[in-house]
Amino acid sequence: MRPTSTAGTGRRRSATSGCGPPCTPNPPTGNAERAITGLYALLGRRRPRFHWAASPRQAVDLLDEPPLRLGGPVDPAAPWHVAHQLADAAHRLAGRLDERAGPVGTFWWTTERIVRTRPPADALAAGVSLAELLVVGVRNSLGRSVHDGLRTPLRAALTEAVGEPPGLRWHGQHDAPWVAYHDVRRRLRPGLFHPDDDRQVDLWADIARSCGWWWPREDVCVVTERTGVAHTEALPGALHGEVRTHNRHGPAVGYADGWGGHSWHGTAVPAWVIEEPTVERIGAERNVEVRRCAIERLGWDAYLDQARLTLVAEAADPGNPGCRLQLYDLPQHVWGTPARVLLAVNGSVERDGHRRRYGLSVPADLDDPVAAAGWSYGLSGEQYARLLRRT
Amino acid sequence: MSMTLEELTDRTGLTVLDHLEQQVRIPVVDGLQAQGDLIVIPLAVLDDVDVPARARWRPVPPSGVELLRGAAGGNPHTLVAEPGAAEWTTEVHDRQRLAVGVLRATRPAYLIHSEHGGSGIAPGTYLVRRQRERSTQRGGQADFLVAD
Repeated sequence: MRPTSTAGTGRRRSATSGCGPPCTPNPPTGNAERAITGLYALLGRRRPRFHWAASPRQAVDLLDEPPLRLGGPVDPAAPWHVAHQLADAAHRLAGRLDERAGPVGTFWWTTERIVRTRPPADALAAGVSLAELLVVGVRNSLGRSVHDGLRTPLRAALTEAVGEPPGLRWHGQHDAPWVAYHDVRRRLRPGLFHPDDDRQVDLWADIARSCGWWWPREDVCVVTERTGVAHTEALPGALHGEVRTHNRHGPAVGYADGWGGHSWHGTAVPAWVIEEPTVERIGAERNVEVRRCAIERLGWDAYLDQARLTLVAEAADPGNPGCRLQLYDLPQHVWGTPARVLLAVNGSVERDGHRRRYGLSVPADLDDPVAAAGWSYGLSGEQYARLLRRT
Repeated sequence: MSMTLEELTDRTGLTVLDHLEQQVRIPVVDGLQAQGDLIVIPLAVLDDVDVPARARWRPVPPSGVELLRGAAGGNPHTLVAEPGAAEWTTEVHDRQRLAVGVLRATRPAYLIHSEHGGSGIAPGTYLVRRQRERSTQRGGQADFLVAD
């Protein structure tokens, strides 16, 4: 199931661009405001003033509040008390909705394994109940795509920009996993929920469709526009359409004001990894995952050229006349574990007439470049040496 | 029978990038050959692959079988052959877990990719495998498949 939050974003940009924060709400923002006002009303509160932000980064400036100290007694006079009440109400709503699902949630791990490893129709045929399928196929899969996927680079970028961002917030479009899960269940079985709960689900669904992250406060609510861009790729091995974020040219998830979070094949990374990766910055980076992503972004050929790594061995490339295979050692402090990289040359030319070089990471116990190239196709060095042609 | 890349694209309706050499004959070879992240291996070379006797073989249609699509839905490798010239099955046990499928050809078959051009495959039985890479993720011990 595709995360609905990636679609239809940025539709009111033209109307709000150019105005200073807080932006004047345009007609569609009325949907979010109406729904949030509905939630305030459930708590016996009146409609708050709405401040619209182009991005969570801008929202933090609008909020301008010190970090919350949680854990102590709840202070009813605190400006965020409304957020506390809302969290409580949402928690109780989710509890009631889950109750209507029956025994799901405690299903056998064998069942879960079937749903995780087989396409939906096969899982149903194998005896998995529809209710169980919906947990894994809708709630969990959207959780992977939206919480782990879209939200993660934004949270990382916000933390990098402002430190711990203000808490007690909701995520609008990025709250889709639990909202969509309950919405699908009630569409499949009208009357499943109590009418009062149906109305609450309507409010949360309206919010998920019409805004981004939002911070409810006393008399004021800071609401972020939906994302303007979301670059994703299929999560390898996904059975339910799960995606991960990836963009090699800019923010993977971004807003109309240009702010966003960067991601490399699903790993949240600082902007420099995507925008200006250099050997120096890679050397100075403490996080090994970020280093690896930055090397891949820079390209193995460029990295090996500039980082002066140790050449273990080189050999003629079988089936690729005039080209060489080069095996390099990657220092453990760079990769976090012993590793080697095989640098090879493409068998076909690019449009500009040159041949692209590419690096493949290979097991660290290989010493022979031909054996390393063979390993990449599950072949021995002797077998790979018989390669006749490469294109 | 061998043909040029131009003839191959004319016959199949598949396209390749226009900077690739169109007039050169595509060699038809009966040994190992690689096309980007795919490799064609004569089955006899391998001792860690089994094709079950009950495997279902499907004829390779003139319009081709799409073997593998590149990263982010990129360009596919397509297997093509004249009607009745080749069969294809994906029911294969490969201990390396890299198999895409097995090709059985009685006349030349061709693998075509818009960036890599064409590869001619002589009559015979071949395993088509993907390329793998040592994982760059945490732990670094698992492997993942290359998609160029």
